[in-house]
Amino acid sequence: MLRDHAKLAFKNLRNRLSRSLLTLLGIAIGIMAIISLLALGEGMQQAVTGELSSLSDVIIVSAGGNMFSSFGGGGSTGEYFTQRDITDIQRIQGIKEVSTQLSGSGLAEYNGKTTIISLTGMEVSVMKLQYASQNLESGGFLNEGEQNNIMIGNSIAHDTFDADISVGGRIKINGQKFFVSGIFGKQGFGGSSSDNIILMSSRDFKKLTGQSNISLIYLRVNNVNDAESIATTIQNAINENHGKKDFATATTMTSILKTVQNIIGILQLVLVGIASIALVVASIGIMNTMLTSVMERTREIGIMKAIGATTRDIMSIFIIEGALMSSVGGIIGIILGVFGSQALTLILRSFMSMGGTSFQLSPIITITTVVLAITVSLIVGILSSLYPAWKAARMSPIEAVRYE
Amino acid sequence: MSKDVIVTENISKTYGKPPLQVFALRETNLRIKQGDYIAIIGPSGSGKSTLMNLLGCLDKPTSGNIFIDGSDVSKLNENELARIRREKIGFIFQKYNLIPTLNALENVELSMGFAGVDSQTRTKKAKQLLELVELSKRLTHKPSELSGGEQQRVAIARALANNPSIILADEPTGNVDTKSGENIMQILENVNKKGETIIIVTHNMAIAQRAKRVLRIQDGEVQEEHA
Repeated sequence: MLRDHAKLAFKNLRNRLSRSLLTLLGIAIGIMAIISLLALGEGMQQAVTGELSSLSDVIIVSAGGNMFSSFGGGGSTGEYFTQRDITDIQRIQGIKEVSTQLSGSGLAEYNGKTTIISLTGMEVSVMKLQYASQNLESGGFLNEGEQNNIMIGNSIAHDTFDADISVGGRIKINGQKFFVSGIFGKQGFGGSSSDNIILMSSRDFKKLTGQSNISLIYLRVNNVNDAESIATTIQNAINENHGKKDFATATTMTSILKTVQNIIGILQLVLVGIASIALVVASIGIMNTMLTSVMERTREIGIMKAIGATTRDIMSIFIIEGALMSSVGGIIGIILGVFGSQALTLILRSFMSMGGTSFQLSPIITITTVVLAITVSLIVGILSSLYPAWKAARMSPIEAVRYE
Repeated sequence: MSKDVIVTENISKTYGKPPLQVFALRETNLRIKQGDYIAIIGPSGSGKSTLMNLLGCLDKPTSGNIFIDGSDVSKLNENELARIRREKIGFIFQKYNLIPTLNALENVELSMGFAGVDSQTRTKKAKQLLELVELSKRLTHKPSELSGGEQQRVAIARALANNPSIILADEPTGNVDTKSGENIMQILENVNKKGETIIIVTHNMAIAQRAKRVLRIQDGEVQEEHA
C-alpha cells in the first residue's frame, strides 16, 4: 500500500520536475550549510583533541589566578612559587616529573639598541612540549645541554630592534652573549604570547639573572585518571603554603580540552542554528509547492476518492510526496555539504596560515551527521506537507470531480 | 428472482434552510435489482447528478435511507463510504477522469491498490480487464496518448476492477464520437449480460432507450417511464 502511495507521489514529482527541483534545492542548501558547519566543527574538535590529548598527563600549575594569562610563557603576574611549593608537589604520590618555568626580565642589546625584555626559562624538554604546536620561522628548538642559546619571538626578531635578527645572530642580555638558535613564526591574533619572548634553558636563566622566580610548574602524572585529583591536591597544598585561597591554579589538559571542546560545541550550535533558518525557509517552500499541487490536482484527488481512496490514502500520498522531495534535497545537500566543508576548510586554513599556526584542520563528516541530516530533511518534509495533505484529504469527492 | 442491490427509502436531498430550502431530490423510493440496466434521464438541473451522487455514495441524503446490498449506507462516515465506493461501486465519468500521470494499466490497478489487493493479482486482473475492453496493446500508454474512446474504455476497465455490485456511468458517451460511443455502449451491455447492474445517466434518448428501465427526473421527482 505504502509502496503504491510512494509510486504515485514519485510520479507526481516527476511530472512537475522543475518545480520539484527548485523546491528541493531549498532543502539542499539548508542541509549543505548544516553539514558543512558540522563537519568543520567536528574537524576542529578532533584537531584540538589530537593536539591536546598527547598532553593529557600534564598538569600546569600557575600562580595568581587564570593560567591562560601565563600559558605560552608570556607575562608574569608578579607572584611566584617558592622552593617549598616544589618540594611539596614532589612529595605527592603519582607524579612522574616536575619542571618549572622561570620568569623575569633583562636588558637586551642588539645592533647598538638596548631594551627591556621579558625572559622565560624552562627545561628544554618542556619547551618542545609547550611550543609543539607553533611554527618556527627559522632555526630549531634548543638542544639538551646547550648553553647560551636562545629562541626568540617573531616580534623580537623583526620589530623590537632596528635591524632584523636571524638565526645565529648574537644578542647581549645583561651583558652576556646569547646565540639565536630558533625564531618563532608570527602568532598574530589570539596568540600574542610567543611573539615577544626570549626563551632559554632554566640553567642559563638562573645563571644570568641569579633569580629563580617560578611562574609556572609543569608536571606529568603516572596515571591520566589521577590527573584531576592530583591537580586538586596540589592546588590545596600551595594555597595553604601561601595562606591565600586562590593563589595557585592547577589545570589539567583534560579540563582544558573539555573547555575548548565546550567552546567549539557552543560555536557549532550557534552556527548550525543560523543555518537552520535556511531549512525553515525551505520548509515554507515545500508547503507552498504542495499547496499549489493540491489545488492543481483537486480533480485528481476527487477521482481517487470516488474510486475508493480513504482520507488516509490521500494524506499518505501527499506526505510521502513532501518527504520524498525533501529527502532527495537532503541527499543532494549532503553531497554539496562534502564539497562545502572542504571549501570552508580551505578558507579557514588560509586564515590560519596567515596567523602562523601549524594546526591541521580537515572537515570530518560522521555517520551521525549524515543520519541526522537525512532525518531532519525527512521530518521537515513531513511536517511541511501535513497541512497541504490534510487540505487534500478533506476535499469532498463531488466538489473535486466537478472541479474544472 | 434476483436480489436488490440498491433500495432507497424516502431519500431527499435539500440545500439551504427553510424558507429558502431547495429540494434537489424529493422523497425518492427506488428498488434496483441485480442485473438491472437503468437509464436516468432528465433536463439539466433536474436532480440527475444529485441522485447519481447519492446512489454512488459520494454524498449523503438529507433524509431517508439508502441500502446497498442490504446495508444502510446513509449514516456512514467518510472512510466507511470510501470503502463502499471501492467495493460496491464502479464509476464511469463523462470526462473519463483517469489519473494523467499513470498509464492505462496503472489506472486500472489504482482502485485495486486502494482495496489492498496485492500487486501481482492486481496486474493480472488489470490486464484481463484491458483485454476485455480491447486495449491489450495500450497498456503502457498514458491517458494523453489515448483517444477519447480509448480513455473511456480504460475507465470502464477501472470501474470493473474491484468486482462492484453496480456500475454508475455519467454520460459515458458524451465526449466521444458516435462510433466510439457505440463501442462503449456495447461493452457496457456485454457486462450487463454477465449480470452486472448498470445505471447510466444521460440526456441522449437513443442511449436511454436501449436500457431495460428508464427513470425520468423532473424537479427532483423521479418517475418510472416503462418497466
